[in-house]
Amino acid sequence: MYKSTNLDLFPYPFRTIKEGTNYRYSNDLRKLEKGQMNCVKITPEYEKQIKRKRELLHEQPEVRFQSYPHTMEMQWEVAEMLINMAVEDYPEHFQIEKNGNHWTFHNLILNETESFIFGDSSSIELEPLDLIGRHFTTDFVLMVVRDDNLYLEVAQESYAALFSPHWNKGMSFDEIHGPVPFVSRTGVSLTERVRDFLIRNVLPGEPWTRINWNLMANRWDVNYETFDTWGPTRFLVTPENAGNLVRLRVEEQFFYRMPRSNAVLFVLNTQFLPMEDLTLKPEWLEQTYSILSDIPKPMADYKGFTPFIEPTVEYLKNLVEKVRLQTKGATIGGL
Amino acid sequence: MVYNSPVLFDQSETLVEKFTVRDDRRKFLIISAQPKEADAIQPFINEVNSQKEYELIEMNDELQINNISEVLNRQKMGTQLYISAKWDDAVTIFTAAIEAGFSEDEIQTLISGEKRRYVYCLKCYHLQEVEPVETDTICHHCQISLEIGPFFSIERKGYIGYPYNPAFVSAN
Repeated sequence: MYKSTNLDLFPYPFRTIKEGTNYRYSNDLRKLEKGQMNCVKITPEYEKQIKRKRELLHEQPEVRFQSYPHTMEMQWEVAEMLINMAVEDYPEHFQIEKNGNHWTFHNLILNETESFIFGDSSSIELEPLDLIGRHFTTDFVLMVVRDDNLYLEVAQESYAALFSPHWNKGMSFDEIHGPVPFVSRTGVSLTERVRDFLIRNVLPGEPWTRINWNLMANRWDVNYETFDTWGPTRFLVTPENAGNLVRLRVEEQFFYRMPRSNAVLFVLNTQFLPMEDLTLKPEWLEQTYSILSDIPKPMADYKGFTPFIEPTVEYLKNLVEKVRLQTKGATIGGL
Repeated sequence: MVYNSPVLFDQSETLVEKFTVRDDRRKFLIISAQPKEADAIQPFINEVNSQKEYELIEMNDELQINNISEVLNRQKMGTQLYISAKWDDAVTIFTAAIEAGFSEDEIQTLISGEKRRYVYCLKCYHLQEVEPVETDTICHHCQISLEIGPFFSIERKGYIGYPYNPAFVSAN
């Protein structure tokens, strides 16, 4: 397991919620502004995350990477975009040499080199997105637009939250989000609204973002394949150990329309913050406690943390009181 | 055929208890691979007889069923397909119809006997048949307990089978 240590880089999910109001599930998509369109991020946990991601891909290739044979051209297109983004924002870490179609990609953090003929899948041992994706900590899902819907054709993921590339392969956006229970006041499902929004608004050169969040009990990922393992561990949480066992899992999502293939690329940046580390940002601690103590049960059920929400809230309540007392003590001591 | 082409499964929108007339179609193609059940579709044939052009194909052996593509491929736009068959034969005819370009809206399927239902084990990726009313089962391949979920995958051709630990469930 890893946790975010640079909180300036942590995509805290409740930033936009006004004080005194509580979280509700909504379409919170936001257009990325110029200068913020790059999804490649290097955090202090980069090497740890890459190591774990590659272990999972190596141990469970069928679980972690899925694609159709006809997607190679799309995959090259995404690989090119990721390489360009990496080189642009982190020239000290990544370099690319292009000699016609003969490309050499240097990852200076890991001291690795990938040489290939761009567009020629026979020049590499893995598929293009599987190869380049192993240099970045994010997960990738590539969906194509067909019949007013999005269909999953390629996915590489290591930090699943009730998602599986193997199971979800070939599914429409609606099928993947079948378990989402929320509908609008007018009866339109949230899934349909988000799907239509993505199809209409994610255009070439105009990427969007949103932040998804969840709670995890001592797990890196909760995919369907390992439900028998992690399902029971959710019941081990107590008000005493929640600070260490329970993590705020945040998934910063980026959506790009690929200009050549017209596919929509989902990039998922997953970060974890243990409940006990919320004390590093007392305003986050207060707000997270307030939101979690008022979470509607259908939302907790859907997100899968019903079994440990009570001890987690109890832990946060105690922690908030402790921090308030310490602050009071420090203020009095300072007088 | 593409990966998300419709497949026949126990909740297919094409499954009906009895055939109904589609006034917006120009022709009805009725394929009966279950001649013993001819009585079941006779009232429907009587009903359409005076209204529309229809073609009735009765199939008596496996060879004929496997060659059904020839019949389906020569149909024109505006044809409504009616399939009356046992499950396995219905799957063969349905698949050939989709391949020939029929949409689910252009097909009605009347099953004689039991429908088949499958679960896909997410622990070992084994597909197996289950009873129509089963809510959980044991994977025949890896022996893990599976809760059968409501979600169906066209790609995997079965319902989701969540692996779970029965000892733990009973303890809680």
